[in-house]
Amino acid sequence: MPTFTLNGKPLTVPPGTTVLEAALGAGIEIPHYCYHPGLPVEGSCRMCQVEVENSPKLLIACATPVAEGMVVRSVSEKVEKARQAVLEFYLLNHPLDCPVCDKGGECPLQDYTMRFGPGGSRYTEPKVKRVKHKKIGPYIVFDAERCILCTRCVRFCRDVVGTGELGVVFRGVQSEIDLFPGKALDNPYSGNVIDLCPVGALTSERYRFQARPWDLVKQEPSVCPGCSRGCSTLLDVRHLERKGPEVLRVRPRHNPAVNGYWICDLGRFETLPALGRCQLRGPSLRTGAGREPVGVPEAVAALGSHLGSLLQEAEPGAVGVIASSRLTCEELYLVRRLARDVLGTPHLDFRVRPAQMPGGDQAEDHLLLRRDRTPNSEGARRLGVLPGPEGLDVAGMLRAAKAGTLKALLVFGEDLLEEGGPAGAAEALETLAFLAVWDSRETPTARRAHLLFPLPGLTEKVGTVVNFAGHLQRLAQVVRPEGAVPSLGEVLGGLARAWGKPFPLGSPEEIWREVAAALGGGLPEEPQAIPEGGILLPAGAP
Amino acid sequence: MERPGNYELPLSVTLREVVMEHAGGVSGGRALKAVIPGGASAPVLTPQHLDVGMDFESLAAAGSMGGSGGVIVMAEGTCMVKVGEVVARFFHHESCGQCTQCREGTAWLHKVLARIERGGGRREDLDLLLDVCDNMTGKTICVLSDAAALPVASYVQYFRDEFEAHVRERRCPFAA
Repeated sequence: MPTFTLNGKPLTVPPGTTVLEAALGAGIEIPHYCYHPGLPVEGSCRMCQVEVENSPKLLIACATPVAEGMVVRSVSEKVEKARQAVLEFYLLNHPLDCPVCDKGGECPLQDYTMRFGPGGSRYTEPKVKRVKHKKIGPYIVFDAERCILCTRCVRFCRDVVGTGELGVVFRGVQSEIDLFPGKALDNPYSGNVIDLCPVGALTSERYRFQARPWDLVKQEPSVCPGCSRGCSTLLDVRHLERKGPEVLRVRPRHNPAVNGYWICDLGRFETLPALGRCQLRGPSLRTGAGREPVGVPEAVAALGSHLGSLLQEAEPGAVGVIASSRLTCEELYLVRRLARDVLGTPHLDFRVRPAQMPGGDQAEDHLLLRRDRTPNSEGARRLGVLPGPEGLDVAGMLRAAKAGTLKALLVFGEDLLEEGGPAGAAEALETLAFLAVWDSRETPTARRAHLLFPLPGLTEKVGTVVNFAGHLQRLAQVVRPEGAVPSLGEVLGGLARAWGKPFPLGSPEEIWREVAAALGGGLPEEPQAIPEGGILLPAGAP
Repeated sequence: MERPGNYELPLSVTLREVVMEHAGGVSGGRALKAVIPGGASAPVLTPQHLDVGMDFESLAAAGSMGGSGGVIVMAEGTCMVKVGEVVARFFHHESCGQCTQCREGTAWLHKVLARIERGGGRREDLDLLLDVCDNMTGKTICVLSDAAALPVASYVQYFRDEFEAHVRERRCPFAA
């Protein structure tokens, strides 16, 4: 392994490591724009120039492999003048509209200019005028004046996604990033160019002008619930006095074991608006004409009396339980305990769609997206949210309901009537004597429920999920649900207590310890001790 | 020139022989003001350099280069600011735009030289041109940036008084 010195500090790195990678790895900053660890090296911004002993010219750190005995300086008069010059060149035709730019406050061009740039400009010529807002795809707005032509976006579309919608057109100072004729930036990963752009040239149409970076007071590490990949995310949270906390952006969080540097557009733009918050304000009962709100204790009592009277007349097998793999491991564990220990029914399943069946969850492309659009099927499988001895699966439960042998169904977080859902669900739900549904939205299934409980949304609870490969990560609770939204533990615990059945009644931390044991053990005692990158559970266990 | 043309000559020949003998000297008997020995990217030489050998090492020692071997001779009465503007416009147009210094620098040089030529120059523009040229030299992937900067720097270096006259008189002194 070659050893070299950087600013007098000896560093030993694997062969082939570039000076920039070695510096960044050692926590030494060398300013750069076109370099990105997830993209091929371009070497055109010329920002990362360093002085290398015995080299007549400055060399770019991003494209200079470390050699044994190399003496490199990233701090020297020559380097600083060159760096300052690059920043001056960048700002010649840059509009400096930082006060109205989304990037202002988290902009590498601003930051490097403040730290390494010239205090003023010697440029007195007219600036080049370009297009200021051009919608180039469903989510992205392009400002050509702010662009510094680092080509990160071009390389991302060409080399990472493979769709290549973007290119550089014209040449010299007229060069601009643009779409190829007839194309739009509409690949399923287009949102990543927003994070990649080191200036405010590529902005999110959703987030545009919504906030300044310093309004985003918290960056919560979380997990995308959009598919079984479970990409690591950062949720940017704003806290307005009158609105409370809200998630304004979802960004990828680098995790080499799960998603690398990227997330898809579904996870970035669509999943949390749909699943993040509970839209119901409290439990409700179905009445002849519509729904009637009830308090949580009354709803728990109604659940107990409905199930109680049913179980007096029928076998426990008259009750079925379907739990969504959108639920956290903690919630799924409680549902399983409810089915097995409180109700005593073997009819328990989470597999509503073909993609949740063994072998059904395939990669949807060469990057991240997977066919199973729930984040925790593997967790559900490992926690045994599956039919017990002689238990029925989802299809079996629906058939039994239609045949009249299954009288009550409890559905947790799943819309059985969704397109692509199980066959015969509509008729089955009609014939049930009792349907209880837990959901965060009023889905078609929820509308048919005799008793409907609100379920906290995916940003409203703590908990863990296990991705398709067995990688366990924690969700972040960012907000509190509005209205009377009890946790699943409160409702199911209330029922178990009323019936005198053993049930975990503790805090999420205590439930985690039982989940950890159910997942095969060897996991941290405290959920807070789960590392941010998550834990890869042993294959096949438990 | 009296006899402009395409000449094949041994490397040992001097610039004076090329210009004065083979090409027959400046047309109309005018005095020679400046020579670009190797195409537009080569720094300019003056009458004091005429005895330099037309080989790569000698031209480099004289501060220029053999380049393409395209010799451009300028007679007295030629405005060197205008020459700079034309050369800078060419490289501005030629820059592919990949590297920052070249993309922005070639355009900047052209704009400043055009402004000086039109009487809008300022005293500080001369040092600005030299510094921008320095910032463009030896810092990019290919040498087009150097090719754009080195000739401009040489014009300012050898004909600084001419640039200053443009600034002082707020016009081109050679304009009819």
